[in-house]
Amino acid sequence: MVVKSFEKDGVTVFQVDGEINISTSPELKKQYEKLSAKKLVVDLEKVNYIDSSGLATLVEILKKTKSQGGSLGLAGMSEKVRSLFEITKLDKLFSIFPSQQEAVTRVK
Amino acid sequence: MEKKPGKKEFRLPSDLAEVQKASAKVLEFLKPLSLGEGCLFDVRLCLEEALINAMKYGNRLKKEIPVRLEVEVDGGELRLTVEDQGEGFDVARLKDCTKKDNLLRNSGRGVYLIHQLMDRVQYNSKGNCLVMAKKLPSHAGKH
Repeated sequence: MVVKSFEKDGVTVFQVDGEINISTSPELKKQYEKLSAKKLVVDLEKVNYIDSSGLATLVEILKKTKSQGGSLGLAGMSEKVRSLFEITKLDKLFSIFPSQQEAVTRVK
Repeated sequence: MEKKPGKKEFRLPSDLAEVQKASAKVLEFLKPLSLGEGCLFDVRLCLEEALINAMKYGNRLKKEIPVRLEVEVDGGELRLTVEDQGEGFDVARLKDCTKKDNLLRNSGRGVYLIHQLMDRVQYNSKGNCLVMAKKLPSHAGKH
């Protein structure tokens, strides 16, 4: 997994490429803690696999972002990744957008 | 011609680094069935979740204690058996991770996914051996 981070219209964007699983999710958490962005978009367009530890990491990031009065958007999920959010009802918890641009516009 | 991968057994050290290696071997074993991407995703996810639980909560990540993994294709279904040597696990005690009050809690989601993505999930009475089965599409393994 590779996480590319950059700023777009005042919003921090994490562009994740690869798998978010038990081995890689600590790295995503570390990247978040390093930047501690208040307005964050995690772009999952290039994520082809996520397990429960990946979902848990995103929940942790959401909790921390909200506790700091910030906002988090998830963007660009594949159909399969989105189905896991729906099955676990996490789609009710997160703000999910079809594209990175739409997420940035709504989060900023 | 119908291809039947049959049955294969693995013994894995309780080391999380082994989880993805094991799932890759299982997916390789299933290759002749030409299963779709969605089905393989579900199989991989459920297998990895089950192995992680067995190694972490069953065998307490003691590398010298193995987890037994069996994969079998028979009667139009794929069966995965994951057995640890722990004290057992009572699935009934898990809280429903999809309830509003539990959504932010990070426990039970892996087991919940297994129950949702597999067609049949069964624990032995001790609770240390999980059998999960997925019905295979009728075209699986036929050319």
